Amino acid sequence: MNERVAIVGVAQSRFAPRRPEVNYAELAYEVISRVLEETGLSLPGDIDNAVSCSHDIWDGQTISDIGITDVIGGHLRTEEKMAMDGSTAVFYGAAGILSGEYSCTLLLAHTKMSQTNRNIVNNVAFDPIYTRMLGFDYTSAAALQARRYLYKYGLKREDFARVVVKNLRNALLNPCAWNGREVTVSEVLSSPPVAPPIHRLDMAPDTDGAVAMILASEERARAITDRPVWILGMGTSYDAHYLGDRDLADVKALREAAARAYAMAGIRNPRRDVDLVEVGEEFSYQELLWIEGLGLCGRGEAARLTASGATAVGGSIPVNPSGGLLSGVPINVAGLNRVAEAVIQLRGEAGERQVKGAQVAVAQGHSGFCGQHQCVVVLGT
Amino acid sequence: MTARETEWISIPMTVDVPYRFAAGRYLTKTLTQLRDNGRIFAVECPRCRRIQLPPRIVCAQCHVRNGRWVELPLEGTLVAFTIMFLPLTDPTTGKPHEPPFVYGSVRLDGCDSVLDHLIHAEPDRGKVWVGMRCRVVLRPPGERVGDLSDIVHFEPLPDQSRPGS
Amino acid sequence: MKRNVAIVGGGQTYHRARRHDVDQAEMVNEAVRAALKDAGMTMDEMDMVVLGNMEFFEGTHMTDCWLVHATGAYGRQGLKITTGGTVGATVVCAGAHLVASGLCDRVLCIGFEKQEEGDTGAILSGVANPLWGRSMAGAAVGYFAMMGSSYMAAWGAKEEHSAMVAVKARQNARKNKYAHLKLDITVEDVLNSRMLAWPIRMLDMCPASNGACAVILADDKTAKDRCRKPVWIRAMETAHNEQFELDWRDVKTKRPIFSKVCAGRIYGRLGVSDPKTYFDVFEIYEPATWAELVWYEDLGLCGPGEGFRLIEEGKTNIDGPIPVNPSGGVLSTNCIGASAMLRVWEAALQIRGDAGGHQVPKEVRRALTTAYGGTNWTVMIALSGALDD
Repeated sequence: MNERVAIVGVAQSRFAPRRPEVNYAELAYEVISRVLEETGLSLPGDIDNAVSCSHDIWDGQTISDIGITDVIGGHLRTEEKMAMDGSTAVFYGAAGILSGEYSCTLLLAHTKMSQTNRNIVNNVAFDPIYTRMLGFDYTSAAALQARRYLYKYGLKREDFARVVVKNLRNALLNPCAWNGREVTVSEVLSSPPVAPPIHRLDMAPDTDGAVAMILASEERARAITDRPVWILGMGTSYDAHYLGDRDLADVKALREAAARAYAMAGIRNPRRDVDLVEVGEEFSYQELLWIEGLGLCGRGEAARLTASGATAVGGSIPVNPSGGLLSGVPINVAGLNRVAEAVIQLRGEAGERQVKGAQVAVAQGHSGFCGQHQCVVVLGT
Repeated sequence: MTARETEWISIPMTVDVPYRFAAGRYLTKTLTQLRDNGRIFAVECPRCRRIQLPPRIVCAQCHVRNGRWVELPLEGTLVAFTIMFLPLTDPTTGKPHEPPFVYGSVRLDGCDSVLDHLIHAEPDRGKVWVGMRCRVVLRPPGERVGDLSDIVHFEPLPDQSRPGS
Repeated sequence: MKRNVAIVGGGQTYHRARRHDVDQAEMVNEAVRAALKDAGMTMDEMDMVVLGNMEFFEGTHMTDCWLVHATGAYGRQGLKITTGGTVGATVVCAGAHLVASGLCDRVLCIGFEKQEEGDTGAILSGVANPLWGRSMAGAAVGYFAMMGSSYMAAWGAKEEHSAMVAVKARQNARKNKYAHLKLDITVEDVLNSRMLAWPIRMLDMCPASNGACAVILADDKTAKDRCRKPVWIRAMETAHNEQFELDWRDVKTKRPIFSKVCAGRIYGRLGVSDPKTYFDVFEIYEPATWAELVWYEDLGLCGPGEGFRLIEEGKTNIDGPIPVNPSGGVLSTNCIGASAMLRVWEAALQIRGDAGGHQVPKEVRRALTTAYGGTNWTVMIALSGALDD
């Protein structure tokens, strides 16, 4: 990129299993007002574009960005909605700034999982003619992926459980997280089966919450903050829809998205050049698959890497020091929360979960079951 | 090949997604007052003084948080209307409103917003007009549930006639 | 914009009420193939795919993921954008941003809707806030009916005037081989059609169509090397409107209106003082006849309260001085997610001189397109055949 785009502000809501006291506009305003306050910017004058991330079916409203138009400053102005994971808002928001059309963009991702039923919502993401009537949802599809991954590389459920132990412990140090706790591998293994090999503690819990972020052109960023975090690279890719068309233990789309992002960022060796990683693990096994897809270790090696302690906060390549999605982050918001957590680390503001000397971070988000669409963002100080 | 009707398979399917919506900090107050006391409350923007119904957290024009609560009278003026000949389905009940019926926008006195609702008037263009005065008809106390259906409809005020008629 | 962006190809399906012969993927693929053929390009040359449609209208969550083979996005960069009825134009804006940013040189933009596979009326009622107004939602018909009654009360227009718009649209559609409702109708036929919500009759409303549209956007170099007749995107503007205050139906409102604000901005960018002479053709998003008359006024093609005179005098006919919707418009074809993109593609065809039967019989150098959706949202895109024009 000739020009650079900076992240100049982030704000995260209180995440909780249920936020019955707010509707989704009020939830969004909670983070929008805070990110404006943090950056000293105001609507409408300082912000010239807005991008939101959510889905009508989760929000229970047709064209659901109608519900956040007022709070995001969309009245008589622009706002566009990505019906994807929150990470894509960063990709598209940055494109708008690089195009020269905009100089300062407000991003928002919000979802209240508590207001509907994830199994039904997830089921209708399957094609209506062929796979939907098999009753799939994200969890049952993920179980197939997890099983295939176990089989292909001779892994055990203990390998997945170690991700849970690490992330829930990290979450104890994250003031935004609600699901932090000390658990043991045997507690994870003996938690109730949901779709084996996935058990209750292997799953990200239903959560309500929102994240807001402000992107700015280099010129605007310098005026807004003295600690901008730069977007160094971005990439996306789609895998096939039908599970039978994919090797579920491979992560083709993520490898492609990562290759694009690394090429843009000039990263030749991610194992050496990346200081920390935030990935979207809706299920514990996904953290292992995603870090393989990001090229941070060889295929089938992520379990060993995790067991070695390398992915812990003090390890050589910390993964999800925030506690990840297992700590309690809503779907759709997930990817913007990954980017936000990476920004907090790169600013050195992560408190007890701070990765020392972090200068380059990778954030990953995905949409669709078993990570069909992947988005990778490389960030640096 | 002999001509033969091609069979195209199509699969009927109903998707039923359950929701439980949070009214939130602002609308909860208005719906509670409507249900318990039969009163209608709106919010005023501290900057432009626009009085907004339903109440909402931010004035979209001024980008500031809405402040003062304002009680509205239960009377207003019809600003636009139509006579519906379609049996519109009420998605909250799945039941149709039987046509023809009058459907319109009423501005309660003192409010800047309008409220779209059923108008309990003869579906006759000669008997409904823009500018007609209307009042809110509520469900009886005790039968109210705390949503917009607590307003049954608007009814025209008595003793008025269409201008020029 | 940092780089110039051109439309270097496009295509559409033959829009119909029934398409039992294809599933959604196959229908979308028809438009994709048509666009690639028109551009003389292959899928491998596309850097990115941007898809838009009305979320969940056909009962499927995340259509971009399902349709990944039909759209060509498999293994490629891609995004899904949704902004309601404006989405087809928003997707074009997204493609233009991606090209102008230098992230991509060629972007495939796709909009589609297969309306017969869902319940559009019920889902449109869901636009209303679930706790305030959804139980009473009059859907699009009720809204445009109030606009029509307000327009007549304010300006003295008659139901015949909206009927003239209905006739113009369907007669133009007869010249457009892709259009859905090609009806040889008269004003009398419109007035005799079934009343839906006074003063809106069946023929005053857009149909529910199945169809798709795709356009390929590219940078300067691709446009100059590969495209015989590039059409340039000269300016884009978006204006949404707040959630609960839907003033457009009240034609005499004094509050700032999304459509006028947006038109003012795009004219300001281009230095347009008289839009009816600056632009040679208009493709506007009119879901109902009355909306077209109001658009005339909001776009400054005439003064307030004069829109119905324009149609009465035939000024906006295909061979008139201000041709509006020579394609037949949304009143003739409404595959919602594609409708706003069809405005852009049809305007590009006019500039290329490739519109065929519905080509405007005069030189077309510049065109303006509008989109409409949400709670009074619009996207406007201005096109020209030459970068220095």
